[in-house]
Amino acid sequence: MQASRAFPLASPLRLAPGAGTLLRPMIEVSHLTRRFGSLVAVDDVSFTLDAGEVVGFLGPNGAGKTTTMRMLAGYLAATSAETLKVAGLDVLRDSLNVRRHIGYLPESVPLYREMRVREMMSFQGRLHGMTRADRARRIPEVLERVGVLDRKQQLVGHLSRGLRQRVGLAVALLPNPEVLILDEPTSGLDPLQRAEVRALIRELAGEHTVLLSSHILAEVESMSERVIILRQGAVVADGSREELITTLGGRGHVRIEAVLGDADEAQQLLEALPGVEQVESTGRLGIHDGFTLSGEGDLREDVGALAAQRGWALRELTEQRPNLEALFARLVMGEPVVDEPRPGTSESGSPPPSVPLTSAPSGSGLDLMPAAAPLGTPGEKKDFYSLNPFDGGGSRDLSKPVSSAASDDSKSKDDRCDEEDDS
Amino acid sequence: MKGTLVIFRRELAGLFAAPLAWILLFVALLLNGYLFSLVLSQTQGDVTASLEFVFGGNFIFWALMLVLSPLLAMRLLTEEAASGTLEYLRTAPVSDAAVVLGKFLAGTGFMATLWSSLFIYAGALSIWGVSPDWGQVSAIFIGAVLSSALFVSIGLVACSLTNIPLLAAFLAFMACVWWVLLPSLGGLLLIQMRVLLADIFGSFETAEAWIGGALERMDVRRHFGNSYYQGVLDSAEIIFFLSWIGLFLFFTTRSLEARRWRG
Repeated sequence: MQASRAFPLASPLRLAPGAGTLLRPMIEVSHLTRRFGSLVAVDDVSFTLDAGEVVGFLGPNGAGKTTTMRMLAGYLAATSAETLKVAGLDVLRDSLNVRRHIGYLPESVPLYREMRVREMMSFQGRLHGMTRADRARRIPEVLERVGVLDRKQQLVGHLSRGLRQRVGLAVALLPNPEVLILDEPTSGLDPLQRAEVRALIRELAGEHTVLLSSHILAEVESMSERVIILRQGAVVADGSREELITTLGGRGHVRIEAVLGDADEAQQLLEALPGVEQVESTGRLGIHDGFTLSGEGDLREDVGALAAQRGWALRELTEQRPNLEALFARLVMGEPVVDEPRPGTSESGSPPPSVPLTSAPSGSGLDLMPAAAPLGTPGEKKDFYSLNPFDGGGSRDLSKPVSSAASDDSKSKDDRCDEEDDS
Repeated sequence: MKGTLVIFRRELAGLFAAPLAWILLFVALLLNGYLFSLVLSQTQGDVTASLEFVFGGNFIFWALMLVLSPLLAMRLLTEEAASGTLEYLRTAPVSDAAVVLGKFLAGTGFMATLWSSLFIYAGALSIWGVSPDWGQVSAIFIGAVLSSALFVSIGLVACSLTNIPLLAAFLAFMACVWWVLLPSLGGLLLIQMRVLLADIFGSFETAEAWIGGALERMDVRRHFGNSYYQGVLDSAEIIFFLSWIGLFLFFTTRSLEARRWRG
C-alpha cells in the first residue's frame, strides 16, 4: 500500500510547507474489527494516514465508516485490532491522551443548543485544558476562519444547519488538533453550504491530518486526493482516483485509429512499446485500422511518437478510462466490479469478427474475398469516395449509412481498390 | 478532576439556560411556600414546627425529591445520549468518571438550589419574627441535599441503562420510589417468602431479624429523621449517604463504559 501511494499523481498536500514534520503516520490501523452481536460492522480493516494527508472514507450507508471513526475517536471500543494508533498513541490504552490530539465531529454535529456559540467554544477550550489567554486568542481566530465570527453571540439552537456545521467544525478545530475526524461533514447542507465546507476542508489540508467520510463519490473526491472505499465493513479500495480505477475496474485503455498500412506489423510495433501489455485489434474501419492497448500508465505519448515516426495518419488517439462513478455505483449496488467489460469492446461493439481479421496473414486479401466481392462489384455501387489522402486506397459507399458501410468496407477495402484500378 | 469542574459548571449552566429548570423550581417553591405559610398560620407562628413540617415532616418534601431527581438524571444523561452531545463529551479528553461526577454534582446543585429556599424562609422569619434554630436549619439543609444526591445517583444508574428519555425517567422514578418504600414493603415481602426464608436461615425469626434489619438500615427517611431533622450532624449518617452515592456513581460510570463495548 505504501508503494502504491508513491504514485506520481499523489497529492500536492504532502509537499505543503512544513514538510519536515510530514510523512509521519498519524493514524495507523491494522486488522481492525468491530462486531455488534453477530453483525460484523468493521471487518479486518487496515490503513495508514500520514501527517497532513486528507483522506476520504467512501461507502454506502452501513459500510462501517462511522463505526471506524468512532473507534478512532475512542467512543467505541474495538472488538479486535492489531494496531489502532492516533498520533503514535494507542487508542485503547491511552484513550485520554489520544483524544487530546483529535478533533472529532460526528455526523449529528452534537452541540449544546441552549448555549451561545461563544460559550460552546469556551467550554470546548476548557475541556481541552486551554488557558484563559489561549481561549481569548484562539476562539475569535477559529470562528473567523470558519466564517461564523459574527454569530458568536447567537444560541446554537437558533443557527441553521449549515451554520451549525461550521460551528461544529470550529469546536473541533479549537484545540488545534493534529488529527481531524469528520463524519459526513457535508451531509444535510444545501449546495452552496456544501461548497463552502468543502473549500474549508481543503484549506485545512497540510495543517491537519483529516479523515472524512461521505457516501457521495464526488463529495469525497472534491475534498481529498486519497479515497478509501468501504463496503460491508471491509476496505475494497484505497488510493487516488487513478489507483481506485485500477483496483476496481482494471487498467485504462488507449484507443488508436490510424491509416497504418500493414495492420499486423503495426500491432507488433505497438506491442513492443514499453509498458504495453496487450494490444487488441478492433478491426478495420474504412481505411483505418483500430487497436486498443492496455498497459501501465498513460500510453498515449508513446503511441503518438510511434505514429509520428512511422508516418501513420492518426484519426483517433484517446485514453479510455473505466468510469469511476459507474464502478462505485455498481459497488454500492452490491455487484462485483472486477469483471468490468473492456471499454474498447463494449463501446464500439460493431466489428465482432476482429479476431479472424487480425489473425489473417498480411496481403492475403483472398481470405476476405467471399464477403467482400458482392459489395465490391462496380455495378452495385454508384458513388465512391476516397478516404485516404496518402495512397488513394479507400472508398465508401455513400448510399449506405456510415456504420454499416464502414464495417463492410473495412473488410473489402483492399479488394475494391484493386478492382477500381483495374477498371 | 479539572474536567469534572468544567462539566459541572456547564451542566448547571445548561440546566438553568433551559426553561425546564425554572418551571420546576417555580412550581416546587410555590407549592412549598404556600404549605409553609399555611402551617405557620395554623400553628399560630410556631417557627420550628413550620420549618420541620415543610422540610422533611410531610410527604410533599419527599415527593418533590422523588420526582425531581429522576427528571434531572434523565435530562443530564439520557437526553444527552439521545441528542448526541454525550458522544461529544465522551470523545473529549475527560474520563467517564469525570463526566458522571460532573453531571451528578450539577443535578445535586440544582436540588441544593431548591432546598436553599429553607434559608429564605428562616431568614424572613428572623427578620420579621422569631429567630429559628440556625443549627437545625443548616443540618436539615445538608440532610436534604444529601438525600437528593442519593436519589440523583440512583436516577443516573437507571438513566444510563437506556437511551429513551421517557423510559429512563420512569425507571429512575420507580427505582427511587422503591428505595424509599422498601423498608415498609420489606415486611410484606418477608411474610410472602416466609417458607423459603425459614428454609435458608433456619427459622423465620432469624431471617426477619437479618433482612428486616438490613432493610431498616437502608431507610433514607429514618436516617434523615434521626439526625439531620433533629439538627444533629452525625458522621455515620454522612457516611451512609456518601457510600451509597459513591456506589451508584461507580455503577453509572461502569454502565457508561459498557456502552463502548455494547455500542
